[in-house]
Amino acid sequence: LALALSRPRGEDNIISEEEAAQYDRQIRLWGLDAQKRLRGSRVLLVGLRGLGAEVAKNLILAGVKGLTLLDHEQVTEESRRAQFLIPVDADGQNQAQASLERAQLLNPMVEVKVDTDAVESKLDDFFFRFDAVCLTRCSKDLMVRVDQLCASRNIKVFCGDVYGYHGYMFSDLGQEHHYVEEKPKVVKGSNEANDGPEAKKRKVDPNETTMVKKTISFCSLKEALEVDWTNEKAKSSLKRTPADYFLLQVLLKFRTDKGRDPQPDSFAEDSQLLLQIRDDVLETMGLSSELLPNTFVSYCFSEMAPVCAVVGGVLGQEIVKALSQRDAPHRNFFFFDGLKGSGVVDYFGSK
Amino acid sequence: MRCYLDESYTIFSTIYANLIGLRKELADSLSSCRVLVVGAGGIGCELLKNLVLTGFKNIEVIDLDTIDVSNLNRQFLFQKKHVGKSKAQVAKESVLRFCPSANITAYHDSIMNPDYNVEFFRNFQLVMNALDNRAARNHVNRMCLAADIPLIESGTAGYLGQVTVIKKGQTECYECQPKPTQKTFPGCTIRNTPSEPIHCIVWAKYLFNQLFGEEDADQEVSPDTADPEVAWNPADAAARATASNKDGDIKRVSTKEWARSTGYDPVKLFNKVQLFKDDIMYLLTMDKLWKKRKAPLPLDWTEIHQLESSQEEAFGTGLKDQQVLGVQGYAQLFHRSVETLRSQLIEKGEGAELVWDKDDPPAMDFVTAAANLRMNVFSMNMKSRFDVKSMAGNIIPAIATTNAVIAGLIVLEALKTLNSDFDQCRTIFLNKQPNPRKKLLVPCALDPPNPNCYVCASKPEVTVKLNVHKTIVQALQDKILKEKFGMVAPDVQIEDGKGTILISSEEGETEANNNKFLSDFGIRNGSRLQADDFLQDYTLLVNLIHSEELEKDVEFEVVGDAPDKAPAPSVPEEGKNIANGNKDSAQPSTSSKAAAEDDDVLIVDSDEEPSSSTMEASPESSNRKRKHHDADTDATASKRKRLDQQPADDDEDIIALD
Repeated sequence: LALALSRPRGEDNIISEEEAAQYDRQIRLWGLDAQKRLRGSRVLLVGLRGLGAEVAKNLILAGVKGLTLLDHEQVTEESRRAQFLIPVDADGQNQAQASLERAQLLNPMVEVKVDTDAVESKLDDFFFRFDAVCLTRCSKDLMVRVDQLCASRNIKVFCGDVYGYHGYMFSDLGQEHHYVEEKPKVVKGSNEANDGPEAKKRKVDPNETTMVKKTISFCSLKEALEVDWTNEKAKSSLKRTPADYFLLQVLLKFRTDKGRDPQPDSFAEDSQLLLQIRDDVLETMGLSSELLPNTFVSYCFSEMAPVCAVVGGVLGQEIVKALSQRDAPHRNFFFFDGLKGSGVVDYFGSK
Repeated sequence: MRCYLDESYTIFSTIYANLIGLRKELADSLSSCRVLVVGAGGIGCELLKNLVLTGFKNIEVIDLDTIDVSNLNRQFLFQKKHVGKSKAQVAKESVLRFCPSANITAYHDSIMNPDYNVEFFRNFQLVMNALDNRAARNHVNRMCLAADIPLIESGTAGYLGQVTVIKKGQTECYECQPKPTQKTFPGCTIRNTPSEPIHCIVWAKYLFNQLFGEEDADQEVSPDTADPEVAWNPADAAARATASNKDGDIKRVSTKEWARSTGYDPVKLFNKVQLFKDDIMYLLTMDKLWKKRKAPLPLDWTEIHQLESSQEEAFGTGLKDQQVLGVQGYAQLFHRSVETLRSQLIEKGEGAELVWDKDDPPAMDFVTAAANLRMNVFSMNMKSRFDVKSMAGNIIPAIATTNAVIAGLIVLEALKTLNSDFDQCRTIFLNKQPNPRKKLLVPCALDPPNPNCYVCASKPEVTVKLNVHKTIVQALQDKILKEKFGMVAPDVQIEDGKGTILISSEEGETEANNNKFLSDFGIRNGSRLQADDFLQDYTLLVNLIHSEELEKDVEFEVVGDAPDKAPAPSVPEEGKNIANGNKDSAQPSTSSKAAAEDDDVLIVDSDEEPSSSTMEASPESSNRKRKHHDADTDATASKRKRLDQQPADDDEDIIALD
């Protein structure tokens, strides 16, 4: 069992027997190249509550090179019951530290590290050592700052949160994200005399595929959150715009104003504030309060475990896609409504 | 939308803080209700985690399988040190570590064991499937109907997944819509005119069984002289057909006997069948076959080794298994694997049989080598061991994230179900890419029950077309009632006014009937049979239509069934075919997927060929007679226990109604 963490850094192209056996079922899905790229990637994950734990699990199982768990908060009974990595006797410890052991056991081949600092206190170059950064439970300002400084260095940026039955993820893969897609190979039809209309159709060989290279661009989080709704084009697209986008704006404002998310303990007070913020935010955007009916208040407290699982699954897979540069990324938001069971991908920002 | 927070709302601040979205009564019912999770694999692990974190307290989980290293990329409750142990048991232990107050019971067993009768199911308020094969799904479907317990059904394959809710009398049951059956290939394609690698792989698996395993009349490997294409006129074909039946394959001895007689000499095998020389030369004499097809080129052992060897360089950066060797390489691999398998056979003693297992290296080597040599004979590009293993072993690619999403959706549906909010329940599809309406997760309304469903209708009835003079009772039991209609232990009586018992589920009682033809019992066109499965509390009336005009290789047809579908992909989500279904079949389960044009996604049975650590029963296929296994005879507790396993099926097209 000599391998694992003593592998040389940089481009090592050989997949060990152990990796081949363990990753077999995913190599058969996304290919060996993608697995190798994953295996060379370092990811920063901020926030180890329900959503963070799900993302951590998904990335560790996928086989990234390293995952840094960053969280400055302490374990409380509530936070411990929200996720499955923290042991039962860990109340009072740092959340990331408490999650470390179980996280590492998910896959010994990944270097799992812990950082107990507050993310706000980190200097710019801290982020540069990663290939992808995933922010959960962060303030809007922090997310905008990190996004700005990372995207220009081709560091992939992801944000995500779960509020009750609702959840979202956002991604900024930079101005030029390159990836490949596997498409069926088009083969020329045979020269049979009586092909008829078939002859005109290009035959697709179901067994052969080819890799097609593509490039796509993403806008910044700042642009995505500061869409101008007053122009005619934006207004006409309102009908097809998920209300979740506005819910996100409200919740981010709440987080900025109160320094925390809505709490069950202060349900009455918080729900009042949420309604007020809803009115303010929509008014500032020049939009009607009706876009986000009052009922939203009932469904956005705390983190529902199954919603964390869904959002964490989609978010985890987007990070895998971006790092492996394989398959079209979702662009640029994913919103999940756990009451309806609907999950939509939508683009906000400059086209 | 009902508001979950009304005047009676009580805020949970201590224990169930993350249940804030739930009405008190619902939150209370979570801690008292009992749920059953069937399967502790990819979906099962994620589901157990979600259930306890959401507040479910009383959970029973059942799985017959043991842990394999290839599970570890997604079945996160297991670690390397657990390989070989019971999935249900280890899953329980892992969950208890982060939620010690959960009350979990684990069963290392098959859900089809008659111990789990209707009374057992009635203990639960909800059943959730986390299965990977159709047979078990059919069975649980019936048990839940019989017990009138809601069932949440789900499936994943690769990036795709699906969840749905089944409630007797309110929604479709799992069997309301006929599902496309496993794709199988006609005998003459396998034996005479293969045109795709998969045909060669199936042939190689048949060959394995003929040489080392349980011989099966439906798994012939030698040239088929009764191939309708061979003869010019029907009379000729009929004459050949009779000839081959009478002489047992035209004066050839059985493949196994012949092989034994040569001491399994690899060179002789190579040159014969088998393979690659004599039988091919025989095929060449059937010149009609090659008028429009490229003729096969026989291989000779000595000649191959005289050719300049085109040795591969060091395999570079790919997986070792992903190399494609040359003809010499596969000839050598054939040689080595035959010798190893021969020793295995000798070690096991007189009358021994080997069971093919994709994780047994010489067995996999043998199929890789034999299939590739045949591909070469028939001018196809050869395939790596990696690819052959996928096809031969029916491996479904799988990742953690798809299962995580689906398991999350299952719990959300579970919450609605416990609240009896069935009108809120949905079928939800997970796509790989958003549809034109931007949906990645597509919820669809549930359909009401099919009034003509042959399972959940009040008096289920079907019509089956077969030849009463050629169908034996055993085939009726195994291929029709068990495989096709999902019964586990059928009892059959003829509606002839006398209630003649044709089949009894009691071992041995009607054994004497097994090889008799249906017509021997006076069964003819228009006869009706009553088939019961008492465990499933299921009675099916079978109307028989006698026909002498069934297609070759087709033993029966269900009248009114949707035709077998192999939907053509218009915009395939992935370039590859997803292999799915059919746990133990020598036949593959390749399928092409319907495009996600709008909201179509396919629920998939992901049936792998089990590894040697789990496999007990012999391989089965939809095309051949099935071996009946009695679970009680499974001595080794650590191995996989199973009753009759039925081959799982293909993708099903589901149209979203949203």
